[in-house]
Amino acid sequence: MSEEVLSIKNLKKEFGQNKVLKGIDFSLRDKERVVVLGPSGSGKSTFLRCINRMEEPTSGEMSFEGTLITDKNIQQMRQKIGMVFQHFNLINNLTVMQNLTLAPAKLKLMNLEAAEKKARNLLRHIGLLNKADAYPASLSGGQQQRIAIIRAMMMNPEILLFDEPTSALDPESIGDVLDLIREVVDAGMTVMIVTHEMGFAREIASRVIFVDQGHIIEEGTPTEFFEHPQTPRVQEFLKKVLY
Amino acid sequence: MNEFWDKVVELFTTPQYIDSLLHGFLLTLQISFFAILLGLIIGTIVALIDTSKRTKWTILPKAICKIYTTVIRGTPMALQLFIMFFVIFAIRGFPQIIIAILAFGFNSGAYVAEVIRSGIQSVDKGQTEAGMALGLSRFTIFRRIVAPQAIKNILPALGNEIVTVIKETAIVSMVGMYDLNMAAKDIGSGQNMASYIVPMFVAALFYLATVYLITFIIRQIEKHLRRSERRA
Ligand SMILES: Nc1ncnc2c1ncn2[C@@H]1O[C@H](COP(=O)(O)OP(=O)(O)OP(=O)(O)O)[C@@H](O)[C@H]1O
Ligand SMILES: [Mg+2]
Repeated sequence: MSEEVLSIKNLKKEFGQNKVLKGIDFSLRDKERVVVLGPSGSGKSTFLRCINRMEEPTSGEMSFEGTLITDKNIQQMRQKIGMVFQHFNLINNLTVMQNLTLAPAKLKLMNLEAAEKKARNLLRHIGLLNKADAYPASLSGGQQQRIAIIRAMMMNPEILLFDEPTSALDPESIGDVLDLIREVVDAGMTVMIVTHEMGFAREIASRVIFVDQGHIIEEGTPTEFFEHPQTPRVQEFLKKVLY
Repeated sequence: MNEFWDKVVELFTTPQYIDSLLHGFLLTLQISFFAILLGLIIGTIVALIDTSKRTKWTILPKAICKIYTTVIRGTPMALQLFIMFFVIFAIRGFPQIIIAILAFGFNSGAYVAEVIRSGIQSVDKGQTEAGMALGLSRFTIFRRIVAPQAIKNILPALGNEIVTVIKETAIVSMVGMYDLNMAAKDIGSGQNMASYIVPMFVAALFYLATVYLITFIIRQIEKHLRRSERRA
């Protein structure tokens, strides 16, 4: 088995009285492709957002590559833990090129020239080189999300977190975005993906986890999970989403 | 009507009147300019404290800012001016203009703070999160992402506040300062002019022209900011 990149022990998150995560134990190994499933409001986003501390966990321990994630080192950690949002979150006042180069240049991962060269290569690769100087508002959702994905790739992250990357897209652009994610995964990226695209989940996952009421209640390979679900809760969920 | 124009001519051809008007106008501009500057500084600091993360270090500053904005926004400007003049700076010989600048600056600061605070908070949370997820510092996120977007919401409201300050400085005549408003009254009550309408009409034009100019400049800046985003 390959080495462990992320280790989470007894993660809990409460919003006031609302206990959303009630003790999650989870470990992610290099090159794993984990798809996170679960009903709406079960805490999938919260789980992902606790990993890079977009949300402050209430308690629990998380380590990344053997180092405990703390408030002190979180900025460093985030450079290695990329995130792709449901609503793309390209920076509105920056051009596509600036969106891609701001962080790598500012954080001195590479100089601006190298960053721009890398950005151009990635843009060319996704067929959007001609949008380098455009502002996000002038792009379609699918274009924005693909740029958001290569923006995350610009940092050379160890893992990438996707929170429903296609949920805000029109059906036509979903395919383009899924193709790009597939490509990123095939290149060996370690990923965690929250998605409602069951076909894609099944195809891409090396492991599926199912979150319900603040716990991971079932996990397994896609075949195990989709063909032989163990818990009644998952059986019921699959019946609904797969008809 | 003829008499009106005669008085206008008289006003603009009598050096003493022109002198009074310009002196008053200059004082109005001086108080306004420095009060606005002070208000911007105070308002920015208060807004930054107000929107900063809640930690044990920011609880007290946040509370102080809250009290400051509540008191200033909840009491009349004229009363604040009186308190500055007759309570806090009841010192003989202290330059009146400085007291007035402090009074209007502290007043404006509370409103500017509110304008900047709501401008910052109107920027989509996803923009900050994008910066955070890339490992950028809070400072960089503010400077490169939040501030440039907030400024577009802030500018129009800030223009209103500047105009308000300029007009509101007219109440310094209540503490005997010789601003544009006072000059108009002074000229009008004089033996020779013996008419309030003309000097006050002219003073109104001065205020209007100033306000119009400020509004125009702010519009131009807004337009410029918007254009830079529509490119390509
Ligand atoms: N910032 C917040 N403040 C308060 N409550 C929150 C916050 N974020 C999430 N919650 C609550 O946490 C619970 C889980 O939300 P979360 O967004 O993690 O669910 P999810 O599984 O991602 O759902 P969906 O499939 O709809 O995206 C919900 O009850 C939600 O109301
Ligand atoms: Mg969610």
